[in-house]
Order: sequence, then structure tokens, then C-alpha cells
Amino acid sequence: MQILMQLIVSGISVGMIYGVIGFGYQLTFATSKTLNFGQGEALMLGALVGLTTINFLIGQQIGTFWAYVIMLPVVLAFGALQGSVVEWLGVRPAMRAKSEAGWIMATIALGIIFKNLAENIWGRDALKFPSPLPEASLSFGGIRIQPMEIVVVVGAIALMLGVEFFNRRSIYGKAVVATSNDRDAAGLMGINTNRIITFSYALSSMSAAFAGVLVAPVTLTGATMGAVLGLKAFAVAIIGGLSSGMGVVIGGLILGITETLTGYYISTGYKDVPGLVLLLIVLSLKPSGLFGKAAIKKV
Amino acid sequence: MKLKLAWLVAASIFTAPVLAADSIKIGLSGPFTGGSSSMGVSMRDGVKLAVSEINAAGGVMGRPLEVVERDDEAKNELGVQIAQELINKENVVATVGYINTGVALAAQRFYQEAEIPVFNNVATGSVITKQFAGPDFKANYIFRNSANDTIQSAMIANEAVNRQGFKKPAILADSTNYGQLGKTDLTNALAKMNITPVATEKFNIGDTDMTAQLLRAKEAGADVILTYAIGPELAQIANGMAKLGWKVPMIGSWTLSMASFIDTAGPNGDGAMMPQTFIQQPTTPKRKAFIEAYQKAYNIDRIPSPVSAAQGYDSIYLLAAAINQAKSTEGRAIREALENLGTKVVGVVTTYDHPFTAADHEAISDNIPVFGLVKGGRVGPAHPEDLEGDSALRIKPKA
Repeated sequence: MQILMQLIVSGISVGMIYGVIGFGYQLTFATSKTLNFGQGEALMLGALVGLTTINFLIGQQIGTFWAYVIMLPVVLAFGALQGSVVEWLGVRPAMRAKSEAGWIMATIALGIIFKNLAENIWGRDALKFPSPLPEASLSFGGIRIQPMEIVVVVGAIALMLGVEFFNRRSIYGKAVVATSNDRDAAGLMGINTNRIITFSYALSSMSAAFAGVLVAPVTLTGATMGAVLGLKAFAVAIIGGLSSGMGVVIGGLILGITETLTGYYISTGYKDVPGLVLLLIVLSLKPSGLFGKAAIKKV
Repeated sequence: MKLKLAWLVAASIFTAPVLAADSIKIGLSGPFTGGSSSMGVSMRDGVKLAVSEINAAGGVMGRPLEVVERDDEAKNELGVQIAQELINKENVVATVGYINTGVALAAQRFYQEAEIPVFNNVATGSVITKQFAGPDFKANYIFRNSANDTIQSAMIANEAVNRQGFKKPAILADSTNYGQLGKTDLTNALAKMNITPVATEKFNIGDTDMTAQLLRAKEAGADVILTYAIGPELAQIANGMAKLGWKVPMIGSWTLSMASFIDTAGPNGDGAMMPQTFIQQPTTPKRKAFIEAYQKAYNIDRIPSPVSAAQGYDSIYLLAAAINQAKSTEGRAIREALENLGTKVVGVVTTYDHPFTAADHEAISDNIPVFGLVKGGRVGPAHPEDLEGDSALRIKPKA
């Protein structure tokens, strides 16, 4: 029982990360029906910018914890900027040209460019990210958790609640929701939908960058850290449903927990298989995802 | 077209004779960026140190050595391109390097065809020197002066079972060729001692959560963890054990000495043990001189990967001795000289006394490496008596 709980706890902390990145996919899909396939790279850039910032702050004799706290807004701002650049360079031209798939290639290409850029600036070694909290694990009735893992889960939930709150309560958020529901109608109501789409990309990369600095102290930072996470998060977004923020988070938890459980009870060699099988099942039975609303495409 | 031809002729008149008369070109291929760069860079620096020493002492056959270095980024396809460039464009007389077994296997085929010797000074895959071995091939141009995985896995099994008395080992290996071939070697070595690992677990490069693998090993009652993987994931294993509050010794292949493991695992990595051909300690006069020269040349205290640096350094001295003996820069003559090396070469790792024969292209035998131990961010000897007195210098037994 204790082992099962330990596995579930580890699965939740891994799954939460998938969830936050997948949440970023959902944000842009809602407003523009496009995705940033460079989401993993946005995460990686966020983590590396965070690393440089935190090391600079620690060099200024600021303790690791406060350095981490001060670093967060820098990283969030950087993520927002990076997302806007992606939208401006990759997505807007494709949408203006009414290209069905142009944005796919464009966002993948930008992702590769960002990765090469990071390799040239930070090198290709995996770097250690200073942990703001003690690394010794806490024990809850025999179940052991690292303090940073709790931060990952809490931080992820806080980010998503923040975005939900913004969408429901603020006038700008309502514009975002209106654009997701019907872009043309929202445009007719005087909402600048182009700006909303740019904003959703900024928000999406911001959440990825945030996820980057959340995982970095638990894992390692490096130019290649985004590739696997970005792909897994994509699977999560498909499983949960691209139109539902809540669904993506639950999808993340499902994938994270299945991975650790399969690893333990079946074989670590097959750890990644059930998640992908689940993806195939969802695609064939409920293509809009477990929590997604089926969309009728009018031609 | 005519103009181009004229340029080519002019270029060859002006450059070719100067090069031929002046320097002896040696290729150098290794990853100087990326996950295995700490090994690649240390190897390169060891090679360059040896070259500058040799050149300061008058070079080889009165000609200076010139290193043509290329970054293969640990990518097979890049290794192949570099091999072709070094052979056809740079006309190297031999190439040293290769950190990654995959790159070596993909690239050295071209040297074999061109009859140019390749000196593997870091890559450890058992199959490397066997790729073109007899009787299928008339002559084998592939040499090595690193401890191969057959030697390392036998040492790991011996250390864990015979020397430390563990009976329930768990094997944790990554899913790359390196990890999986090493896992097979380890399982075979354990089988010879009638020991079956209680758990054999696998993980991917980039995996960050080792909970499932470690819990399986723990529940199977493992008393020691044997590893075949590279730095970052090894660090995740050490950190994962600390997280689970479970501490058993880690013994594994030489990659446990990688800076990325030591730095990332921090205190959790203390106590990890691995076979080493060289430990950064002045246990012989040659080692003392090498460490001092390296620290002075590169202005550092801790060599990032001492094993790679020492083996890189030695590979150049072995090659230089062979060229001197062959009195030729022709590939075939160098190979024959290497296989019948008449002079004793005093290296950092060992003193090479007739290290190769036509059938045996491995300079390092199983008696040469000792166990290193991670402690306080550095690798020291696990059993200091291994490097004391007469046992400091370990020499390959005569065939």
C-alpha cells in the first residue's frame, strides 16, 4: 500500500508538469485553433533564462530562496515575450494566408531555432539548477516527497487557477473567452481578436516557462530538456481534450501515474507504452479527448 | 573551369609540398559540446598536451605533429562526415579520439578501407576493436587504449560480489546501446559467479523520475546497485535514492566519474565506485609530471575527466613511437609498427611494453584499472593500497 502511494505521489508530480505544459497548448488552441509545437522549447528557454538570472542573483549575495522568488517575474516576462514572438513570426502570417498547416511547420521551425540558439548560448551540457528549498525529502507516513515536488504541484495548480480566474473575472479574460467561443462574432463585437491571439500565445509560453523553472530544480536544465516533455505534454493535451483546461490537467495526472505504475508493476522497459496506448484508444473512441467538447466543423 | 583548374594547381603547388615536408597530420574526433563533452574536452586537451611536448622535443622524425580537431557532437552521422573529411581532404596519417562507441563503429569503417590507423582512446564498447578483426579481415586498423566494457563489467561484478560480498545486485542501465550492451556484459559476468541480479531495470536518456526503477530494486531486496548509464541519469538515480531514503552502494562503469554525475548528485553521489585507468593522484613520477603539466597548461585544478585526459595523452605517445619506428607516415607501416612496438612507452596510465599484437589491439588489460571512489566532489582511489608501492604501476602481462 505504501509503495502504491509512493508511486502515485511521484506520478502526480511528474503528471502535474505534463499538465502545465499541456495547459499551454490548450490556451492557444482555444483562441486560434493553432498550437505552438515549440512548447517544449519555450519551457527549455524559460528554465535556462531562469538559471542565468538566479545564478546572477546568487552572485549578488542574495539567498537561493529569494533569488528564486525574484527570478520568477523575470522568467514569466521573458516567456510572455517569447510567446508573442512565436505568434508574430510563425502563426500570424500563416493565419493571414489562411494556410491550414503553415503554422505547424512555422512553430516547429521556430522551436528548432530556439533550441540551436540555446545550445550556442548555454552549451549542450545538462546544468544543475539551484534548489530554493532543502533537497532532503519529507516523510509522510513512510511516503517520501521532496519539498520541491510539493512546490511543483502547488505552483502548477496556482498558475492554472490564476488563468481561469483571469478569464472568468476580468474584462480582458472575457474577451479571451469570447474569442474562443466564436472568433468572428467576437470580432464583430469590437474585440481585437488578433491581439487576443497574441496574448494567448504569450500566456501559453509564459506557463511553459513557468513549468520550466518549476521542474528545473528537480531535474537538470539544458537545451534538450524540452523535447521529451513537450511531446509528452502534447499527448496529455490530446488525451485530456484540447478544448478543456481541466481535462488537460487530469490527462497529465493520468499519464504521470500510469507511467510510474507501469514502471513498477509491469516493467520499467515498458514505462512509456500504456500512455501511448491510452492516446490511441482516446483518439479512436473520443477524438476530442476525454473532457473535450466534440466540435462540428461546418464546411 | 580552366580558371578553377589553374587555381587548384596553384594551390597544390603552394600548399602540398610545405605540408608534406613540415608537419605530420593527426586527426582528432570527439564530442567537444554536448552531454559527453567533459570527456571529449579532457581527451582533446590530453592529446594537445602530448603533441606540444613532443613538438618541443623536436617532433617525430624531425617533423612536428599537427592536430586536426573536429567536433563530432557524439552524433554518428557527423562522425562519418568527419572521417571522410579527415581522410580525403586533410590526409591525416592516423586519427585518435572517439568517446562514443556508436560514433566509433559508424566512422572507423572509412579508416579501415583507407588503411589508416584509428586510435580509440576513450570509447569502451567491447566490439570496437573486433569490428574488422581477423580472420574475416586481413589487417585490422583499429586500436584502443581504454578499458573496454568486457573488462569493466567483470571488474564491477568482481568488486561487488567477491571483494565487498554483496549477493543481491540490481542492474540499472539506460536504453542506449551503451547501457544495454553493458547490461548484457554485466549479467554475463555475474552469471559466471552464479549470481542472478534480483532486478534489471531500464530508463531513457532524459528521464527525471527514477521512483519506479528504484522501488523495484528496493522491493526485490537489492543490496547494491550496478549501473551502466551516463552522468545526468546516474545523478537522478543517486538523488532518487536519497529521496526514497534508501541507501545502498552504487558501483558502475567508469561514467560514474563524469563531472555531470559528481556535480549534480552532490553529496548523494558520495561513495559511488567505478573502474578507472587513471586517478588524479601523483602515484608515479610520470603521473605527477602529467598532472602538473595539465594543470599549468589549462589553468585548472580538477581535470574534468582524468581518465579521458590520460588516455588521450598516452594515445599520442604510442602513435608517435610507432611512427618513429616505422620511419614512415604510411598507414600500413604505422599499423605494423604498432603491432610490434619495440620501444617501451612510459605513459600516464601504464608503461606500454609491446602493448599490441596482430591479434590483440587492446592496450589495457584487466589488471590495469583500479576502483575509484567519489568523495567530496572528487574521484580518489577506493582501495588506496591498489596504488601503493609496486602496485602503483600496473603493466599488461606479456602474451
